[in-house]
Amino acid sequence: MNKQIQGKEKTAGYLYYVTRIATLLSVVMIFFPAFNPAKVCDFINKNMSLFTSGISYSGLVEQCVRAFRMEWVQESSFQIIFVSSMITCIGIALQGVMACMSIGNLKMKKRGNIFAIAGGVLQLIGLVGIYVAYTQIAQTTKPEKVIPYFPVRNWIMFFALAMVVLVLTIVIQVLLPKPEKDAKMEMESKFKLFLMFLPFAALTFVFSYLPLYGWRYAFFDYTSGGTLSAENFVGFKWFTLLFQNEATRADIVRVLRNTLAMSGLGIATSWCAMAFAILLNEVKVPWFRRFVQTFTTIPNFISWVLVYAIALAIFASDGFISSIMVNTGAWDAGKNMLMGSDHIWLKMLAWGMWKGIGWSAIIYIAGISGIDQQLYEAATVDGAGRFQKMWHITVPGLLPTYMVMLLMSVAGILSNGMDQYMVFENATNTDVISVLDLYVYKLGIVNGRIPMSTMIGMAKSIISVVLLFMANGISKLTRGESII
Amino acid sequence: MAKTAQEKIDAKAEKRYYKTHKSRFKLTVGDKVFNVINYLFFFIFTFSCVFPFYYLFINTISDNSLVSKGAINFIPRGINFDNYISLLNANEVGQAFIVSISRTLLGTALMVAASAFVGYLVTKQQMWKRKFWYRFLVITMYFNAGTIPWYLNMSMLGLTNNFMAYIIPGIVAPYNIILVKTYIESIPGELEESAFMDGAGYWTIFRKIIWPLCKPILATIAIFGAVGHWNSFTDSLILMQGAPELYTLQHRLYLYLTTSSNLGALMNGGVSSATAEAIMQTALNAKVIKYTISMVSIIPILLVYPFMQRYFEKGIMLGAVKG
Repeated sequence: MNKQIQGKEKTAGYLYYVTRIATLLSVVMIFFPAFNPAKVCDFINKNMSLFTSGISYSGLVEQCVRAFRMEWVQESSFQIIFVSSMITCIGIALQGVMACMSIGNLKMKKRGNIFAIAGGVLQLIGLVGIYVAYTQIAQTTKPEKVIPYFPVRNWIMFFALAMVVLVLTIVIQVLLPKPEKDAKMEMESKFKLFLMFLPFAALTFVFSYLPLYGWRYAFFDYTSGGTLSAENFVGFKWFTLLFQNEATRADIVRVLRNTLAMSGLGIATSWCAMAFAILLNEVKVPWFRRFVQTFTTIPNFISWVLVYAIALAIFASDGFISSIMVNTGAWDAGKNMLMGSDHIWLKMLAWGMWKGIGWSAIIYIAGISGIDQQLYEAATVDGAGRFQKMWHITVPGLLPTYMVMLLMSVAGILSNGMDQYMVFENATNTDVISVLDLYVYKLGIVNGRIPMSTMIGMAKSIISVVLLFMANGISKLTRGESII
Repeated sequence: MAKTAQEKIDAKAEKRYYKTHKSRFKLTVGDKVFNVINYLFFFIFTFSCVFPFYYLFINTISDNSLVSKGAINFIPRGINFDNYISLLNANEVGQAFIVSISRTLLGTALMVAASAFVGYLVTKQQMWKRKFWYRFLVITMYFNAGTIPWYLNMSMLGLTNNFMAYIIPGIVAPYNIILVKTYIESIPGELEESAFMDGAGYWTIFRKIIWPLCKPILATIAIFGAVGHWNSFTDSLILMQGAPELYTLQHRLYLYLTTSSNLGALMNGGVSSATAEAIMQTALNAKVIKYTISMVSIIPILLVYPFMQRYFEKGIMLGAVKG
């Protein structure tokens, strides 16, 4: 008798694996536009997933305004699609609840199965609703405009998954013995902790890992609003075009030159923060030190847009310097010193330093206070002067910290962000100020050349990761410590 | 307390040493020159960090006609706050201000709560596949799919032209989670154990023990998170293309700044005098508007800055410890 129950529970356990996988598939699929079973005509945006169709009615009918006015389709059909999508999503969510509860004890499993059965039924109802809406839309008076189309593959996939979950949970419910009357719902603590963590893992997946799936756009001939299919698969066309097309190649060379030059200048002057800290350490008046430290860190906390606002206030043709010069009669009219492309790399470096040096120095200031004071005393006794102490004690003491910072900045050589260069860019300096990030943004978002910009962004990401690992390897070799 | 004999001898020796090596402890001429240059350098640099804010401020509170003439350079004259009042009543700016404030408050609150909770969860050794999940989180700091895939992903999720796009992606912040985790690990484990013995669940322990004890580190990440939210500009630029009512204050400011800098370019380009004059008029009005919006964006940062200062040194040092 007992053995029989154990055997049944074992079978139920195996079936649970299948149901969990089926549920996970459904849950993932509702977020992908490619698997949307509710896209039944051409008016529904290609970027709508089942999830978005189920929560945003305005998104669903976005492109239908004309169709409704001309009465090609009934608005009620779209309301049916919206409600059905929502019901399907709720059903899948209930199955998700079952999947979570199935790792609990018997009582919990039994309760969870009820959710799953309800969820499966809801999902089937929702899918049928979508089919009904399709049949309504198919009777349109203008089929050549509406293009009714039933996504058979997606629909059958969802239908099959719902059936699998429904049938299997019913079987499991029958197989599992009745829990004792006074049993409580319980779960092992390791699973409890995992379930608490799960929503955050899901968020991480959706916002950090899922974008990687967008890399596939680099291999298609895609224009905004189009689809990805076997016909417009182009393989490495964009990659080769990058090198073959003269204009693009010139752009890339220019942008890479700017990026490397400005990052390179930043790296070459990165010791300045350390020098700043060491010199500040020589200021022996406490209040003045405090004062300097407080006010030089402020610029770090304002955005680049605000830095630009300040740049305008000081250097524009109606700014501080021009006002002074005009008022004293030195200049006839104000000059806008932000126009023109002279020394733009150095200017950008200067702005970067103005904003960041006080902040970067903090870590070194903390590092100095960590250096053993006895070293200084011993050096004084031995007759070392101020500069000798700085050079032979402070600098070597800070060097490990500096090396970490240096390696990190080398690893990030391609990613100097776009905010700074975007705000300072204007018609006269765009040739020398465009960096990779800004170029990708303009190419992809402003000009809509999504595949090409994805390709460049992808190459950049891969190179950055490789550089990071190389920096880490160097750090491990030389310092025996990893930096990531 | 009386000094021991040895200490007395030491003190004597020290005195003698100072006497014979007096010259070493006196400032030489070179030292004095260095000091003067050093103090001067820091004074000038600090001044360059403070003055622009002061300059913006005095121009926004002075008489606008004097500002137009470029007469307000060091001392405010004709003090009034009309610019601020009229600006916040202006529809666009007021709305942008509300958007920025709400995303900062909501986004920071959720981020801090999530970081605290996840930071606590990942310290629990008994969690199922803890190591894997922790790495799953942390590794996301080191790669990034790129702007365009990120944009496509957000639009696929329906997070374009949607206020939630400011909030949801920022909830899980791996770096802050690491900071909280490191902090929790420094708290003695006995506290938690005794609560566990008394039958408290994970949630209760988190709420009653971990959360109150973590307040210093939570304040640190809250302040950094809030500044990040307030300053963020790219997400508004890329994701809200179809919803100007959801632009953040920084985005609005950017638009105002670049429009009038275009005007400036036009003026230097030498156009016919009548047009130039008309443009000059708008540009000068634009000057006050620009300055005032800039101040509106800066003031919240300056207000929280004194509170931040207590925390940011701690924050940057904690950042050096990763695990």
